[in-house]
Amino acid sequence: MSDIACIPDSKPCRIQIPGALVEQHYEPTTPEEVGAILAEATEKQTGLLISGGRTRLHWANPARDISRGLSLVGLAGVDQFEPEEGVLHAAAGTPVREIRALVAAEGWELPLDSPGERSTVGGTVASAVVGPRAHAFGRVADAILGLDVVGADGAVSKTGGRVVKNVTGYDLAKLYCGSFGTLVVVTGAWLRLRPKPAIRRVLSARPEASRANFEACRALGRLASVRALVWNQDPGSAFADVVLELGGSEEGVTHDRDRIAAVLEIEEAASNRIDVLRDQRAEMGREDVVLRARVIGTECEKLARAILELGLHVSIDPALGVVHARGTLDDVKSLLAIRERARTQGGLAIFEVLPDAWRTQLDVFDEAIGTESLRLTLKKRFDPAGILNPGRFVGSL
Amino acid sequence: MNHVAPQSLLDRLTRIVGPENCLSREGELFAYECDGLTLEPRRPLAVLLPKTTREVAEIVRACRDHDVCFVPRGAGTGLSGGAHATENSVLIECSRMNRILEVDAENRIAVVQPGVVNAELSTAIAHHGLFFAPDPSSQQVCTIGGNIAENSGGPHTLKYGTTTNHILALEMVLPDGQVERFGNRVGETAGYDWVGAIVGSEGTLGIVTEATVRLTSIPEGVETLLAIFDDVVAACRAVGRVIRSGLVPAAMEIVDQRTIRAIEASVYAAGIPTSAGAVLIIELDGNPVCLDSEVATIRKLCHAEGCRTIERARDEEERTRFWRARKGAFGAMGRLAPDLYVHDAVVPRTRLPEILEKVCEICDRHRLKLANVFHAGDGNIHPNICFDKRDPDELARVMKAGEEILEACVAVGGVISGEHGIGLEKRDYLHLVFTPLDLEPMYRLRESFNPDGVCNPGKIIPTTRFCVESNPKARGYDAVPLG
Repeated sequence: MSDIACIPDSKPCRIQIPGALVEQHYEPTTPEEVGAILAEATEKQTGLLISGGRTRLHWANPARDISRGLSLVGLAGVDQFEPEEGVLHAAAGTPVREIRALVAAEGWELPLDSPGERSTVGGTVASAVVGPRAHAFGRVADAILGLDVVGADGAVSKTGGRVVKNVTGYDLAKLYCGSFGTLVVVTGAWLRLRPKPAIRRVLSARPEASRANFEACRALGRLASVRALVWNQDPGSAFADVVLELGGSEEGVTHDRDRIAAVLEIEEAASNRIDVLRDQRAEMGREDVVLRARVIGTECEKLARAILELGLHVSIDPALGVVHARGTLDDVKSLLAIRERARTQGGLAIFEVLPDAWRTQLDVFDEAIGTESLRLTLKKRFDPAGILNPGRFVGSL
Repeated sequence: MNHVAPQSLLDRLTRIVGPENCLSREGELFAYECDGLTLEPRRPLAVLLPKTTREVAEIVRACRDHDVCFVPRGAGTGLSGGAHATENSVLIECSRMNRILEVDAENRIAVVQPGVVNAELSTAIAHHGLFFAPDPSSQQVCTIGGNIAENSGGPHTLKYGTTTNHILALEMVLPDGQVERFGNRVGETAGYDWVGAIVGSEGTLGIVTEATVRLTSIPEGVETLLAIFDDVVAACRAVGRVIRSGLVPAAMEIVDQRTIRAIEASVYAAGIPTSAGAVLIIELDGNPVCLDSEVATIRKLCHAEGCRTIERARDEEERTRFWRARKGAFGAMGRLAPDLYVHDAVVPRTRLPEILEKVCEICDRHRLKLANVFHAGDGNIHPNICFDKRDPDELARVMKAGEEILEACVAVGGVISGEHGIGLEKRDYLHLVFTPLDLEPMYRLRESFNPDGVCNPGKIIPTTRFCVESNPKARGYDAVPLG
């Protein structure tokens, strides 16, 4: 716990989220200031809205008893980048796009594919959000070597390290990643980089929207150089828009392109096409409902077909079994049916955007039944006063 | 403190698993006094060999009713004492829970019991063109339950990651005897990542009784290279060049001269010249059309660091021979001394040359025999100290040298374990890496699952904060003069 850091003055803001309107927030510039803010909030039992680039604030259950915000954008910058090692350390508020540009100049790429221009390292870690390149990059947690965090009691601590292999102590980084800032506040991260592919090509196709073509595309996702594969389809359309991003050596990409051409009628597409699709998925738009469901690969097409029949547009990562959907629904029961179907097919469904009236009827997240007791116990031990993003996470935690 | 299991407990345990699966006679317990860490043998009160999740849960409840702790154990190949029975503990050995329950080849998923042997899973699914990627050196005998507990790695971690990257869901008996499931078949859940927290928790959060694992496609092409260098430092520098080049080999392993000589004098002889200062084994896999140019790049990078020769395996037999130089190393070290202390630490890869020089200096100063075999691509060193534990003076020097090696690794930005875990062995060195404030959230995690510390007590972090267990002498190191 910090003995000397002062709480910075709060600043006016206007952040409307489900369940709360936040009109004052803090923008600390050091972890110690974060500690001072959290320690006081715990002492006074004041709920805080923790935010980064505010790209996913809409994605949560209704807030409860939040009176102030805590923005991490004041902690920004890459303070250590080691091109010889392929690792770097960035403060939580650092925009992901800045890191992408920084490391690309040295032949590396950041394996975080979070959508949105303002997406930050801390927000990406807290939400564990991925994009279409998760196919190649893996989960957000896979890119994390170590985290700097501040607890609800104000204690500044770290977990993990800066080396690429590590089993020293419990893997708390896994626990913190995707916890939506409900256990600790992340203030910095050591991240593992990937070599930038020697070449990258983006291809598109417009096949007939049949099950056979979908499965053929899904199989293409197993080619070594395929980094992202997206199948977009509108309800009622007889065709799908397919986009593939390939990366690797010249020989590998050319070889895989030829294999793809044997299955799909392809053409070259704009090099940023996957980025555009990724960011579109995160746009709020005018739709009432935005959801993300994930099932085992062999069930993905069936789930997508069921969602299309509800009149929603789908954007699918066939190789990952992920279906993003958006549109308008008349009935909350349809949503719950999608969730139930995803569960029975080994996965889950998360509702990122919902009509306000529906948020009170269901949990936007989708936690496996049975872990509630452990979740509550863990939360109580990490955040006994319940100041970190109260109400917003699984089970309105 | 119990040193003999209460008869009423033994009677109840016998009823749960049957008399043949409840071991409590002294002779029966002897083999369970330690795992791969032989320095601190401790006899359990009893050893249970359950067959089902229900039996595990009943054992746990029986132990709780008698105030006896319990320690999960796989094949006992761990090297940090994670499966040692601490005082007042029974061992729950999961080797009889060894069934592969399901293989879904299309979705590349298998559901297994914890006692399934790592290599046997890969053998069983090979006809689907799949394998289970974590490949610890002990993979012919170690179990998947043990791999989960330790978050095991292996030579191919460089490309495929450690066990945590391959576990989708778990069934676990919690320390209160309840059975809980975590995760799902897609490997993504909303809510806290329980699976991520459990993998690598060394059996301190509960006893895993079933795992849903991710399977990996067997690569279409594989190339294995064996490069011979005049010294280990040059080999390390070559590894640095490969990392910087943008290539991601499946494995990069270094074997030093002392180990080479031991291997060549043993049944594992691989035909490596004993004049070699070090060998670097590099394995590339993936799309066959890419491999020729990658091999050419590797050749160039190795020669830039003065590589003496570099061989490319012409067939599977030769590939096996190259790997014998790596995988036979630990067996061959038996020729050097009666005992072997296999250390495990990780440093930034660019610091490998200097840390190896430092490790050699430390062992020379303590007059110890050192042999190095390590996962160079990950910066994961394994200084192997060959000694005779019957010599108390030498044992004390081994312990002192080990401590200095860990300090040196941490000083260059490293950590004290890359794949063997903390267990009992390194628990008292955690302070080298973490402050008390860093450890506090670890306590919170453990106490959420295991509030009274009955499940594998004393491992990773002391059972209670700042307690007597932090004192090595208080936990049985008395025989070891720590210098």
